[in-house]
Amino acid sequence: MTIAEVQPLSKLKPARDDGARLGFRLTLPAQLLVLFIAVFPLLMQLYISLTDWSPLSGASWPQAWQFWNSFANYSDLISDNRLWSALGRTLFIIAICVPIEFLLGLGLATLFVDDFPGKRVAYSILIAPMMVVPAVAGYMFFMLFQSGGPVNDILSWFTPDPVAIAWLSDRHLALVAVMVTDIWQWTPLMFLILLAGLVGVPSDQLKAAALLGASPWQRFRTIVIPRMKTIIIIALAIRVIECFKIFDTLFIMTGGGPGVATETISVYIYKVTTNDLIWGYVAAIALAILIVLSIGAVWAMKRLAR
Amino acid sequence: MTRSLAFEAFRYSAILLALAVTLIPILWMASMAFKPVAEWQATGANLTWIPDDPTLDNFRFLFGESNSNLIVALDRTAGKPILSSLLSATFGTILAMTAGTAAAYGLSRFGSGANLPLALIQLRLFPPMAVMIPVMMMWAFLGLMDTWWGLALVYGIVKTFFDEMPKEIEEAALVEGCSRWRVFIRVTLPMMAAPLAAASLFVFILNWSDYLIALLLTTREWVTIPVYMASLSSSMTGQLYGAKAALGLIAAVPPVILGIVIQKHLVRGLTFGALKQ
Repeated sequence: MTIAEVQPLSKLKPARDDGARLGFRLTLPAQLLVLFIAVFPLLMQLYISLTDWSPLSGASWPQAWQFWNSFANYSDLISDNRLWSALGRTLFIIAICVPIEFLLGLGLATLFVDDFPGKRVAYSILIAPMMVVPAVAGYMFFMLFQSGGPVNDILSWFTPDPVAIAWLSDRHLALVAVMVTDIWQWTPLMFLILLAGLVGVPSDQLKAAALLGASPWQRFRTIVIPRMKTIIIIALAIRVIECFKIFDTLFIMTGGGPGVATETISVYIYKVTTNDLIWGYVAAIALAILIVLSIGAVWAMKRLAR
Repeated sequence: MTRSLAFEAFRYSAILLALAVTLIPILWMASMAFKPVAEWQATGANLTWIPDDPTLDNFRFLFGESNSNLIVALDRTAGKPILSSLLSATFGTILAMTAGTAAAYGLSRFGSGANLPLALIQLRLFPPMAVMIPVMMMWAFLGLMDTWWGLALVYGIVKTFFDEMPKEIEEAALVEGCSRWRVFIRVTLPMMAAPLAAASLFVFILNWSDYLIALLLTTREWVTIPVYMASLSSSMTGQLYGAKAALGLIAAVPPVILGIVIQKHLVRGLTFGALKQ
């Protein structure tokens, strides 16, 4: 085709309609998947959540109306102490783990801004924990935290007597072990993201500030932090969201125990789903969480947009 | 800028400490995988950090060979779970990439499906736990329970939005004279080969790592590696640490290799495309 043969305007218009049609067709598979996996399940969930239906009740789920209980599931929620303490525990884990991961990640990232021999290798090793399948990481730390295991062995090097702490069967220590695992696995993510941000801070500005006599801390606070603001928010947001969902490592290490000492929201829902099988109630919990999270997410996005 | 010796010393020791903390758990698992039964059962003062007597027994045990030092034998080998993990991760990736690439193109070029980004971000935001009940009900309803492709379907959608497209691609589509579909297939896709490949590897790692969805949607026939791993314990011997470590090592290999391959794209993938490196 030569330039002279460029199509006249009248012919371009159908082409645009053609584009709209193709666009519709291209997005159709994804739309269907969303419908099939999100919209339809949510409606189903809403329906089930208004009943006492369970897979053992003898009727298939479309007949769940026979077990209609109006909003009883939702009012039960409010007085469900186990649910509230699972929620509190999840928030506690977020409040401890995310700041530690952030500070460790930021500290390591600052050390990696300048070149040093072996930097590439060190970098590859440091981000390795993210690649380890979380379930495998769970087994790994389950082994490490056994009372006759390596963690106690290392501690024994520093104490006169051999240490034999039963990490995973103590209420408080089990929580510590679970959080250590999360920090081990996800500090690398903070490191990776924050390093990408730090590298992007223009070095001429830093040099100029240094010439003007700004201390490293002043440079960090007045140049680096403002530049990194978006990146820091993204990194924190990702970790808070992921940490809220914490399940794999924790469930494998402790199964939520001893008792309910490490039971988070996901573990609680899992247990009620598979052990107690009261699915009508689980559906109500799940929907309540989705609604609260949605409101939180919309609020956060609006604030971020400003 | 010259830095004091003390600072350099601090810097190197901090980095070395971080490397040690990062590596010790992984090395411990690797060491366990090659230990004979007596060594991986040892506790306390008898712990060995490096196997005295390295052996491949644990790997052989996983694939059905009986171990003279263990009373138990496995009722099913690790072969099928590994296959199941591979199949579900692969098919999930193909599904996600197909739907995701097409949707991303339709959205960025023609503005179709404007509701998709928010819908997909929300899917990623919510705990999978919170929609699993209806999904399990649907799967049982459709007879898909316990099949790897049922799993793949879930993966497909949860991971779809990862596939986000850079703007340059739109320019390629400006080439007129053949149908837009042909432009997409012949011009755009080949141009995008490298980023698409990176995105697929990324989605593959995520699918491969899944535990929760597999735990809920598979029962026995098609359990994936992480779910199967839990069955590697018996009332006779307790936890089969050696076999677990060996399987853990096998499970860790693909993501670590793929992770190194796509190192350049990791920041972008992990921040859901919010950060471009």
